[in-house]
Amino acid sequence: MSPPAGRPGPLRALGGRRLPRALHPVAWWLWAIALATAASRTSNPLLLLMIFAVLGFVVAMRRTEAPWARGYRFYLLMALTVIVIRVAFRVVFETGVNPGDHVLFALPRLPTPGWYSGVQIGGPVSLEAVLSAVLDGARLACLLCCIGAANTLANPKRALRVLPGALYELGTAVTVALSVAPQLVESVQRVRRARRLRGGGGRGPRALRAIAVPVLHDALERSLRLAAAMDARGYGRTGPATRASRRLTGLLMLGGLAGLCLGAYGLLGAGVPAGVGLGGFAAGAALCLGALVLGGRRVSRSRYRPDPWRWPEWAVVGSGAVSAIVLSLGAGYDPAALNPSLYPLSWPALPVLPALAILVAALAAVAAPPPPAGPGRPGPEEAPVPAPQAAVAALPGATR
Amino acid sequence: MIRAPRPGQSTARSRPRAAAALAAPVLNMTVLNMAVLAMAVLAMTVLAAVGGAAAAPRAWAAPEPMSHCSTSTGVVMAVSFAHWGGPVLRSCASTPTTAYGMLNQGGWHTTGTEHDGPGFICRVGYSGYQGGTQYPTPAQEPCVLTPPSSAYWTFWHAGPGQNSWSYSQAGATGYAPAPGSVELWVFGGTNLGGTSGSAVPTVSPASLRANNKAPGSAVKAKHQTHPGAHPAHPAARSTHPGAAPARGNSPGGTATASAPVSRSARADASSSPSPVISNAPPVAAGDSQSPSHGSAVPAVIALVIVVLLAAGAITAVLRRPRRAR
Repeated sequence: MSPPAGRPGPLRALGGRRLPRALHPVAWWLWAIALATAASRTSNPLLLLMIFAVLGFVVAMRRTEAPWARGYRFYLLMALTVIVIRVAFRVVFETGVNPGDHVLFALPRLPTPGWYSGVQIGGPVSLEAVLSAVLDGARLACLLCCIGAANTLANPKRALRVLPGALYELGTAVTVALSVAPQLVESVQRVRRARRLRGGGGRGPRALRAIAVPVLHDALERSLRLAAAMDARGYGRTGPATRASRRLTGLLMLGGLAGLCLGAYGLLGAGVPAGVGLGGFAAGAALCLGALVLGGRRVSRSRYRPDPWRWPEWAVVGSGAVSAIVLSLGAGYDPAALNPSLYPLSWPALPVLPALAILVAALAAVAAPPPPAGPGRPGPEEAPVPAPQAAVAALPGATR
Repeated sequence: MIRAPRPGQSTARSRPRAAAALAAPVLNMTVLNMAVLAMAVLAMTVLAAVGGAAAAPRAWAAPEPMSHCSTSTGVVMAVSFAHWGGPVLRSCASTPTTAYGMLNQGGWHTTGTEHDGPGFICRVGYSGYQGGTQYPTPAQEPCVLTPPSSAYWTFWHAGPGQNSWSYSQAGATGYAPAPGSVELWVFGGTNLGGTSGSAVPTVSPASLRANNKAPGSAVKAKHQTHPGAHPAHPAARSTHPGAAPARGNSPGGTATASAPVSRSARADASSSPSPVISNAPPVAAGDSQSPSHGSAVPAVIALVIVVLLAAGAITAVLRRPRRAR
């Protein structure tokens, strides 16, 4: 899709009414990962709250009407669950009360044997411990919501098109796996609506059975249809690759992944010489790269309607990158403000530069073009296609 | 179809539809905003509670001079600065107490990590050693996250009469020592059983324990007769671990004892490879500054920004075509 005739570019697009189109999925993913990086650097409740708000704002402004775009509330629920679980664990397993703590209440203490006294169950619960659990949980919840926002905003099937050719078998499996959850949700909604229209109400196990059986039936049928469609489009064909070259590719890939694991362990673990970590990492990366190059040779792909990468993509990625860079560098403000201490309790400070950087990430809602309209008014580009066909069309190597 | 953004009208119209469960995204946004709102409310309540609540007063054991500890009373706490070429400093506290309490009285100070709170001993310092510098220094360990398992303050204790160390299974705030027991803090790392590693103690509990049978009354008298008789004399007297333990011969107990410890300890450490054991008499605690709760203005500003963003999100959702909602 091309920008309006005449002078293309940001000025023209911002001035006039912009044509709706889907942003490049990789741009959304990079934006979300940058925000997640920023969130992982801080435990300041104000900054985390602002990241939550920015995520919600951008999702509300720029999500499509696709099935996967309706799942943000599930990520929010998951995030809340994370916080609740963390607090519950901190309350049940006592971590000790320090002098000056504000004790909220005390649980009855379960006696533990002496050899197990490292873990204490029950005991006094201080406000500081609960708050620290909430903040820890909020940081993890923020990461979850970042990934959820990326999943909501980006079309997962189109994102798979940028995978290297050697990974296309993996990509196929991932596509099928990714389409399962939204399809299940869709199935459940359809079956429930059909039940309601027929006047079938009721709750409890009977209703569950009446919904679960058709949904499973539906899912099986769809999977078979998807498999047939993919088969018809030439999936699973090995191309000109010989058996030996396929084995070599697999061996290189496995060796590379093992090297990466070893390298990561060496880099992160204490007591492992640094050379082992770096060497393992480099060797693993080299092996993986070799496998990708070798494997990519045997897959011939054609590209159909490639997603464009224009200034909105750059702007979205840039707006996210600003927050990640500012919070990672820790320059220009007091780095201690990113991790305010709970001892003694005090109001958290709001460091100006990180707060502004997070607000810059909200500009993605303006920089990104409006999403294509939903089923009621098909957009020029992203006209909804029944799920199996859409899945196949988005895969590398597929032709329509 | 773009709806007129009149709030009253829109809610009145959208309600019956929401009930029809065809408008799931309305619920979606409601959940989102409720989550944001709930977090804001939670933050406000908690912070308000903090402002109002007062810390519960706690009774801690009193710091005592070494002579007050005996084989059956008081607890001897020792901290080894050998990792930094320093001595093993020991002091005495009356029971009941916790290991954390002992490390934060009579001139001792600790710092926790930002992640785990003060209960995780990350730095230890004594005001009479190196001017109160806490080790490891911020350059060596930032004390933000939990330190690595190869370099942290390990905690050892030996019960009354025992002459072998056991690696503590409880934390500093969770361990309540019995009268007559000895505690030792060593910087380094160890395995779970406490049998190998850089932090396995090289001094025996017996060399740290106070060996007088009764809390030294004789010493007390002697001490009273010569209050500050030798101002130039190092208040913390050193004994080598191999030598017979000091039988309550410490002249400590004066609040004036401070700097000399480091000097004498350093001199001894250079002559002997094994760590030097010095007494660390209680030092009057400095005036503790009252904790300030900071200003609530940043929180309010952040909340205003969050509310503005939420309002923007709500507007965006309300302006979506109804079918799409």
